[in-house]
This record gives sequence, structure tokens and C-alpha cells, in this order.
Amino acid sequence: MGFFSPWFLGGLLAVGLPVWLHLLKRHKTDPKPFPSLMFFEHREQSSVMHRRLDYLLLFALRMLMLILLALLFAEPYFRVKSAKELGQKIVVVAVDNSASMRASAGASGTRLDQAKSQALSFVGTIPQGQKSQVIALSSQVQALTQQVTDQGELKAAVSSVPQTDGRGSFGELSRFLRTLNESTKTPLEVHFYSDLQKTGMPPGFADLRLDPDTTIQFHAVGGDAPNWTVENVVAPRQVFDPKKVRIQATIAGYNSPAAKKNATLVLNGKTLQSKTVDIPANGRGQVEFLGLDASYGFNKCEVRIDAADALAADDHYYFSVERADPKKVLFVDDGRRPIAQTYFRAALEAAADAPFTLEVQRPESAASANLTNYAVVVLNDLATLPNGFNDSLTRYVMGGGSVFIALGPASAQLPRVPVDDDAIEATRYADRTGDRFLVVGDIDTGHPALKSVERFDDVKFYQAVHVTPTKSRVLAKLGDQTPLVLERQIGEGKVFVFTSTFDNNSNDLPRHAYWVPFVQQTVAYLGGGGAEQPVNVTTGTYVELRTGDSQSAAAEVMDPDGHRALTLEEATKARTFPLDREGFYEVKTANGRHSLMAVHTDRRESDFTVIPKETLDLWGATGGTATEGPGPNGQQGDEQRKPWNLAPYLLIGLVVVSLVESVVANKYLRPPGAVDGKHEAARRVETTV
Amino acid sequence: MNLQRFLDPSVLAGISSLDLIAKTVVDGFISGLHRSPDFGFSQEFAEYRSYAPGDDLRHVDWNVFARTERAYLKRYRGETNCQVNVLLDISKSMQYGSRNIHKIEYARFLAASLVYLAHLQRDAAGLIVFDQEVRFFVPPSTRQGQLHRLLHGIDQAEPAEQARTDYSKPFAHLHDFLVRRGVVVLISDFWEQPKTIIDTVSPLRFRGNELVLFHVLDPEEIHPKLKHSVLLEDLESGQRMEVSPDYASHEYKTKIDAHIEEISSLAKGQGMDYFLVDTSRPLDAALREYLAIRTGRM
Repeated sequence: MGFFSPWFLGGLLAVGLPVWLHLLKRHKTDPKPFPSLMFFEHREQSSVMHRRLDYLLLFALRMLMLILLALLFAEPYFRVKSAKELGQKIVVVAVDNSASMRASAGASGTRLDQAKSQALSFVGTIPQGQKSQVIALSSQVQALTQQVTDQGELKAAVSSVPQTDGRGSFGELSRFLRTLNESTKTPLEVHFYSDLQKTGMPPGFADLRLDPDTTIQFHAVGGDAPNWTVENVVAPRQVFDPKKVRIQATIAGYNSPAAKKNATLVLNGKTLQSKTVDIPANGRGQVEFLGLDASYGFNKCEVRIDAADALAADDHYYFSVERADPKKVLFVDDGRRPIAQTYFRAALEAAADAPFTLEVQRPESAASANLTNYAVVVLNDLATLPNGFNDSLTRYVMGGGSVFIALGPASAQLPRVPVDDDAIEATRYADRTGDRFLVVGDIDTGHPALKSVERFDDVKFYQAVHVTPTKSRVLAKLGDQTPLVLERQIGEGKVFVFTSTFDNNSNDLPRHAYWVPFVQQTVAYLGGGGAEQPVNVTTGTYVELRTGDSQSAAAEVMDPDGHRALTLEEATKARTFPLDREGFYEVKTANGRHSLMAVHTDRRESDFTVIPKETLDLWGATGGTATEGPGPNGQQGDEQRKPWNLAPYLLIGLVVVSLVESVVANKYLRPPGAVDGKHEAARRVETTV
Repeated sequence: MNLQRFLDPSVLAGISSLDLIAKTVVDGFISGLHRSPDFGFSQEFAEYRSYAPGDDLRHVDWNVFARTERAYLKRYRGETNCQVNVLLDISKSMQYGSRNIHKIEYARFLAASLVYLAHLQRDAAGLIVFDQEVRFFVPPSTRQGQLHRLLHGIDQAEPAEQARTDYSKPFAHLHDFLVRRGVVVLISDFWEQPKTIIDTVSPLRFRGNELVLFHVLDPEEIHPKLKHSVLLEDLESGQRMEVSPDYASHEYKTKIDAHIEEISSLAKGQGMDYFLVDTSRPLDAALREYLAIRTGRM
């Protein structure tokens, strides 16, 4: 037991106060005169003792109050004997089941098989009654058992460690061990069975830190071995013209001599092209395939090498390609500004393999068109919208469509921005009496639509429509704080508002180099249904299934085996889904967009370089050592262990004693002349009679 | 106006003048006794008696004679005078009072009322103030100014420090003063053994005196109410003693009741009149007692 603030124990001197009150002051009681004591006897001294006993309880309570108060300030605590002092520990058997453990380890099977075999042997040596736990490590730690003493359960857990395609993360292992040590307050003896890849180390060594009560022993399997892998493939996500497609693949070798490797392009299981590539020792080589005769829709593509090394899982690289026609963009124009259409079309079709084509319609015909056929609808400074057009645009956006609106002198007459519903306040003109022109003052260059526009430098704006952004997010402002670009998410779709025109009357933006990237990025951003998710990812990546506004719409994921990966509940509620296996996932998000996602193992698993022994020793030294017992590190652990503070219990006791003291004091110390209400009332009645 | 409210001792304590107190008490008391104020005390009609030869003709009721042709004499009670001696104890214990009025004040009111009442009846009133000594003495007389002398003596009667009750010494002298038969009124708290008291005062009766004992006690003396153990100090001896509420409410009560009962029985056994006066009670009860005695003397 100890005290956080022992100097407050000096408050115990206050105990002398009730002693003075009860034992000393009592003798100074003024005598009460009485005519004669002839009928009193000296044996009444016993009554004094009786009175002393009466006050004894009050005296004790006051003493107790002061003692509790002093102790409360002194903050006593108990330091519970730690599990380490009691000689207890938990044995943790950790088995690495990352993708690299698929590598062959000779006649004993894979590295994982070897690790499991060694772990099983160790589990057999664990003494009976010793608490132990089996965990598996890849990108995350998976606890396969609780802390149990049953060897049969431990062996079964070790035997059932699954092979995964994840990347081993030793930092995650240390974090788990720290959490386990903190929660159990018990020393850990960790036996880690792994190929100890150097690439499994976290970026910072501090992430490997273990608690002082944790000892770790490394059991390496496998070792440095030559390995070649298809490290990366660069291919377009969408293909509009198969003859123009270029696919680049990077072949890497780790701990490997110089070699020639045969790279093959496979499309939907059919070999298209093969090329030989020279790989230098511990180096990389590139190979390029021209043309991809993909069929319409999603195509499962793969680049393979005939490596014949220990790890066959990284000898291929999956990627998906979508063959599609260019998407249509509906440009709604009332004919007042024909030059705007020219500028917009020129910018949109400037790309070599343009993914979008522009279709121009009058508002009257656009109102009756099926908007779902268009990736983006552009409203070019419309003065009026035909009946029902605004509603059909809103439904279109709610369903996942996007609208790109340009505001100009004509649309300034509208009370509100179509679909977006923000109020149009006024038109801001630059004239000769004031500013000759306006420039962009503030812009979010991190936005996908504005990332290559160089802040619209030198672009002069002569007119802009002032919109009060109550529901929209402002992406760019003019120098006078007039919003220039606004965006609003409605349902699954988006509305993008440009408060100036697309021609060169209200600004000179079409004559600047920023015009083309602005139009292409904006249309791509809107036509792609928002931020495009990558379709070629590594294992452990999460795919976004829905945004917050589409709770009820169902999403769907088909795993590489063609099975549904989501339950019915997950299909309607899950926001993300982890892609933890290598292969192709067919994903349908809640906004109805389909994609084929190619998942491949993290290529850092292909490097079998083992962590140097010095590094492992440093890692182990961050914790304790199994044989030394409680050393300086152990004492530090005791100090960090939170003692059991008694202050809350003392506070409760003080409150209770205070209440009892109040009751007792009220009983004993009531003024002699005081009468209770009942007697006082009776006396008044008697007087009145 | 209800003059009887002035009989309350606590009300009387607010009046500074003792003669006014006596007059107030007696007038209030008399107005309580008689509905008609026409009956003067000294001229109070007692009875008719047939005329006998030798009777004074001045007392014949001629109105009756005119109606009945028989001569009757009117007799008045006030015609008979006697000596009234008031013995007032001013020992230190009389200084005690648990309420607005102390026992000595109450005793002074009572003595003043008695001498005023005697004065109205043309009785010769005297006063002896004593503790363990005779402190003040006014011989009985009906002279002019006697009432003022008596009231002055009563007014100046204050207990002296360490004045203890000792009946033997002053009463030995009283035998010399009380040479003529009459009424002797003794006002005291009688903190003495009952036998000693009675043995001391009983010789006064042997001379034909009517002896009236007014035992003045404070309510707290009769029924002490203690909530806690207290330290009591004897007013006369200065002795101190711790007393518990339990003892005061049981054993002391038993003893004080026995003490009062013993004084009362011994006094009545000796032909004395004993009256316990509670200082919380009005004075009229004491005066009524005195009048009963006075009537018996006629």
C-alpha cells in the first residue's frame, strides 16, 4: 500500500479537534444554579459516564470523518501483485500464413506446412495447465483460440491455420501482442513461426515495440531463395479501340541471377501473345503487348511468366479490361450560344481514345429523352426548363446520373439553380467602373475535376452568376468570393455547377490551355459515377459498395470462385467489402455500376529476403528476456502497472459517515430549550384554552 | 377591565412599584370575589341580631324597625381587628427562578398583597425579614404610614450572598417579638428537613397564633426537566454535582414529593395551615387561603 500524496497525511493532526471538543471542552460546562442539592446524591457520577458514552459515537464519527478526509487527500492505493511476480505467463504460438508462405520448402511441402509442423512440435512440449493461444498472421492477426490449457485444442488450431493471399505485417503482430499484454496483465512468451521476410517490417521500427513483459522467439522457415514475379501491369481500364491498346508488364527478380523469361498475355483464358524478356540479376525487365482483342464487357486478363521458382503464386498478374463504346454526353442548348457547344465538343473529343461523345439537343426534345442513356447531361445557360424536365433531371441524378450546369445571363433569370436548388442571387459583372475583370481567388486543386487546371491562372471572368451555396460545396471562388464551381451530391449522382458560361463572352477560359483538362476531367469525374475505384488492386484492399445515401439499394459481390460473397443483410447494409483472395471479383455497387476487379497478391511478398539477425535481436530486445526474469525492464513494468486507487471508496465512506454524523449530532446537540413541533402545538392549544 | 389578569406573577414582575402591585393584586382579587363593588371590606355586613338591652342604639337598623317594629342590630365583620405578622424568608435559595419571576419576587408580591389586605381590614400588620438572622423588623401597628413602612421593608428585602436558611436562630428571637396573638404568615421555600421546620415554628402557635405556611417553590424545583446531564450548583452552599435527567425525573421527584407531603402533614398535625405556592400560578390562590384563615379568626 502506498500514497500518491503522502504529505496530506499531516491532516491527521486535525483529529485533535474532536478530542478537544469532546474531552476537554466538555469540562468547561457552566454549572446550572439550583436552590438546594439536598435531594441529590453523589452516585450520579455514573450519569456522567452515561453521557460520555452518549457522545462517544459522535466523537468516533468525527474522528473517522477527519481520518477519511486526510486519507482521501493522501490518495492511498494498493499495488496488486502482478502476474509476473506470481510466475504466470501466456504462451502465444504465432504462425505466419501470408502469401509468401505458399512458397515451396522442399519435400516437407510449403513453408506454411513446415511452420505448422514446427509449431505442432512445440505445442506438444507446453506443460499441462499452461495457458496458451494460437494466432495466425497475415495482413491482420487472427486469433484461432482463446487462452486455453487444452493441448488438443491448440494442436487443432495450429493444424487449421489457413493459407492466405495477404501480406505479412509484423507491425500488426506487435500491436496485437501489446494489446494482449495490456488486457491480461500477464507476461507473454511468443513463438513466431515465419519466413521472416524483410518486407514484412513496418515503415517505423517503433511499430515493432513489445511490452517489457513480452518475450519473443523466432522460428524461421524457408530462407532466402531466388524468385521471379510479374511485378506490375499497366493496362487501360476501358478499351474503346482494341487496336490502340498497349499493355506494359514489369518482370522482377529477387535474389535471382540474370535470366530470360517468357511472358504471356492471356485474355479470358486464351493466350494472345508471348514474348521473351531479359531479367538482369536482382533486376527488372519490361515487356509490351500491343493490341487487345477484347470482347464487349469485362474481360479477365493475365500476364504470366514461366518462372519455375519456389513461389508459383506470383508468376501471374491479373488485371481486368472493359471493352465499351464511348459514353454519350447530352449537351442541352437552346441555341443562344452556339460557340459554347463548339468549345465544349472540341475539348471533350481532344483525347486520342475519347471515352465520351457529345450529343446536342434542344431543351424541348431533351425533356422527353431517356436520360439514363447518357453518362452526363450538360445544361448550357438555359433561361427556362420545359415542364417536367427539372423533375426528370432530379430522378436521373438520384439514380446515379450527373448533371453539369453552366450559368450565364440567361439562367440568371431563374430563381434557383436547376436540380441543385441553390438560390440564384444576382449577376456579378465586371465593367469599366470597377474591376475590369475577375480572377479565381480560391480553388480546391485536390478535386479530381480541378487538379490540372493550374488554379485558372490568367483566366479573366467578366461575368458570373452569384449563387448562395446552402446545400452545395464550393470548389472554386472568384476574387470577390463569388462561387465559381460548386458540387452537390444528390442520391447516387452529382450536380456540378459552373457559374459562368462555356463560351468566350463571359470569360476567356476556352482560350486557355486549362479548358481541355477542365472539361475532360469534369466529364470523366461525372460520367464515371464519381471517384473511380481502381479495378486492379492487391489483396486486403476494400471495395466501396455504397455511399451513405443508398442504404436500401442492394450491392453484390461474386468471389473468384463465382459464389456470392455477401449475405442478404450485407448486400443491403455493407459499405465496404475486403478483397482478400487473389482472382477476379465481380462487383455491383449500390448505385448500379458493375465492375470486374482483379486482385493480386502484394508483390512485396515475392521478396524472400530474411530480416537480418541483428534486426531480430533488436526487435526481441524491445520486450523482456525469458531467462533473466524481472530486471530493470520488469521494474519499469511494475511502475507502469496502474495501482488500485482507494480514493473512490474513501469518498463514498466519507459521505456515509458525514450523513450519520449529521443525524447523530442533531440528536445529541439539539439546544436544551428546543421542543419538537408536536409539543409546541400542544402548548399553544393549552394556552388558548 | 379584567383586573384578574394582573394576578399573573409574570405580569406583576413588570410593575416596579410594590404598593401598586399590592393594590393591583388585592383589587383584582376582590373584584374576582364579588360582583358588586358596593361591599366594602371593612364595612362588610355580617348578620342581623335582635336588640338586647345594653346594646348600642347606633347600630340599630331603623329602616327595619320602621317596617317591622322590631329592633335589629347590624353587625359588620370589619369590626374585629387582629395582628398579622408576615415572616419573609430571604435566604439565597429564594433567589432561584426558572421563569420570568424568581421565588423572592413572588414572595415579595405575596407579602405585599397580604399586608395591603390587612391594611384594608384595619388589622395591625407587621413584617419580619430573615435568613439565618433577622434582617428587618417592623412591629405590627395600625398607625398612619404603617403600610408604607411595611412595603418599603418588603421592597428592600433582597437575599444576601451566602445567605442560608436557618430557622432555629431567627425564630428564637421571634418569640420575643410576637407577644400578642394573631395570624403569623411564614413565606419560605423550606429547604430544610420538615421536622426541623415544624419544630422550629410550632412554638409560635402555642401563644394562640394562627400559623400559615406559604411554601414557595419554582415549578422546576417540583418537576425538574433535564434533557441532558447537567452540573448543578447549590445556591446557598456553592456545592456542585452532576445530575442526570433520569435521576431528576424519577428519584428526585419522589424525594421532593415526599418532602412536600411531610411538611404538609406535620404542619397540619400541629394545627398549622400549609399552602404550597407554585410561582407559575396566580397570587389569588394564596390570598384566598389567607382570607379563609382570617375569617376563622372572627
